[in-house]
Amino acid sequence: MQSKKLGWLLLSPTLFILGLFGIFPFIYVLWVSFHEWNPFAANPEKLFNWAANYRKLVFDAQFLASLGVTLAFVFFAVVSEVVIGYILAQAFMKDFPGKAFFRTIHTLPLIMAPIIVGSIWKLMTTPSIGIIPHLLKNFGIDLNIGQSAIAAFCITVIMDIWHWTPLVTLSLIAALVSLPADPFEQAQIDGANKRQIFWHITLPMIRPALIATVFIRLMDAMRTVDEVLMLTGGGPGSATRYVGVHIYKEVFPKTNYGYGSAISVIVLYLTIVICWLLYTSLIAPRNKRG
Amino acid sequence: MKRSNPWLAVALWTLISFLTLFPIYWLFVISVKPAVDLFSTPDVLLTSIDWQNYIKVMNDSTLRGYMMNSLIISTGNAVLVTTLGFLACYALTRFDLAGKESVFFWTITNRMAPPAVFLLPLYLLLTQVYVIGDFKLADTHLGMILVYCTFNLPFAIWTLRPTLDGIPKELDEAAFVDGASAWQVISVVIFPLARPGLAVTLILTWVFAWNEYLLAATLTNFNARTLTTGLSEYVTTTGTEWGIMAAISVFTLIPALIVFGMVQKHIVAGLTFGAVKG
Amino acid sequence: MSDDKEAAKPGFLPIETNWFDRLFISVVIWVALSLFWLRFIEPLGLSVWIAAAISVALGAHIIRKG
Repeated sequence: MQSKKLGWLLLSPTLFILGLFGIFPFIYVLWVSFHEWNPFAANPEKLFNWAANYRKLVFDAQFLASLGVTLAFVFFAVVSEVVIGYILAQAFMKDFPGKAFFRTIHTLPLIMAPIIVGSIWKLMTTPSIGIIPHLLKNFGIDLNIGQSAIAAFCITVIMDIWHWTPLVTLSLIAALVSLPADPFEQAQIDGANKRQIFWHITLPMIRPALIATVFIRLMDAMRTVDEVLMLTGGGPGSATRYVGVHIYKEVFPKTNYGYGSAISVIVLYLTIVICWLLYTSLIAPRNKRG
Repeated sequence: MKRSNPWLAVALWTLISFLTLFPIYWLFVISVKPAVDLFSTPDVLLTSIDWQNYIKVMNDSTLRGYMMNSLIISTGNAVLVTTLGFLACYALTRFDLAGKESVFFWTITNRMAPPAVFLLPLYLLLTQVYVIGDFKLADTHLGMILVYCTFNLPFAIWTLRPTLDGIPKELDEAAFVDGASAWQVISVVIFPLARPGLAVTLILTWVFAWNEYLLAATLTNFNARTLTTGLSEYVTTTGTEWGIMAAISVFTLIPALIVFGMVQKHIVAGLTFGAVKG
Repeated sequence: MSDDKEAAKPGFLPIETNWFDRLFISVVIWVALSLFWLRFIEPLGLSVWIAAAISVALGAHIIRKG
């Protein structure tokens, strides 16, 4: 309706900044990933070395292990969050006093900085000052996240559940509230049991919200860095060295920029592919239909 | 929907609220414990309150500087992304631009990318490529404000678009017919109507910038170091000053809590990134 | 993410795609095949360029017929 020039003019600062700090870094990292480049080594020049960085990467046991623990972490965290979140959302559907109050409290972790969440859980679980190891000692369990790999992994998962279950709960509450009552009444008249109602009515109807929530949680869980860096620093050993932590710990101290770029490119590749697959297979078809 | 006994639900939600609040309570407990009591047997109840850690944090000029940096960077960034997001959304909703849906999608993708991936390229660009004479973007307030745009600007566009879609286009058409310039339409007609949406966006982007750690830890040394990075400086290999760390955490938490109280109702829609209604 | 303006035509791919989506799919396949090749097939003595050639051929086919 008006001149398109004005439209592009209004968009241009946004595109300029995102280009400079979003797109260009990506192109740059792609370019560097095909070079041997260590500015603090004897030869600080960039040397083009074809796919040597990637050749090294696919055989890098530490990187592959880090991918593995990331996937395990994402799986356990997201599944628990969805199950707990759904149970809480269902419980919220009943009338009981203080609903708004409970929901407000439940929302609190969402606005907390990941690094604060990490520091809180560090204060809770460090053997000398933490309350959790102290209480567990009464049951004869010795919790030391600095030594036990499995304990450290579990605590990071629990921390993620504590931090992000509210997001799942709140989205599912929103979805459940907006459901029409008719199908449920009809099903009860027809004599359907609870399990049948869940699988055949509730689940299909909240599917869109459920998928969108899982999608967001999946992306966010894959990029978890701050809280884990604070809580365990990736240790003990490499038990909680998730890919983000791996990049942070590997690239900067070793200043091997070419190889670090290759790691970054592959992590971004995996994220985009997973993201795109979910988007096209689950969300886009729904938008097209209506 | 179900008329069964609500007490089970109340019990469940009470338990969950307790589990949610306890870690935050524990943070407070540690922050007001005198250093000598710290390593005695942990006690669930608060026996005495000692504000020493808070006084130490407030008297520490380095930390005061970090807090100032955090304020400058998050405020600057929130204002910038809200303004740019507002203009971009106006363009996206009012103009028939070729390929604008692709522009929109790829803008959003910027936020989904793991920040860790951008650490190295941004570090290299800010220290070696985006350099004008002696001026480097690394470790400056301006640099951090611009870098935070990568995740906050897509968010602002995402949350502002429905707001601007909701403002009838007839309004600006009428104003154009009356001979108003584009700038007048945006500032006099659209801006007042979009104000509630802009306020929520401003506040949420402010919180995200305030909470950010990874990029700040990598891209700043001293001049633009933020409060969240100050926090991690108290964790060292030789020992951690737990009380101070807890006190800084509380200081970092308070602004977010205030903001939370202000926009509580909108916060969920904002945090779920609008996708749920998609 | 397909634009209304760009022609989305049905091809052998299970979803509706425009040329940009198909280019994207081709690149994704290229990267995946190359990484797989570097890990498992190159040690047997076949150069990674063979993977590149296969990917380009496959990509051309996807972009034209997808």
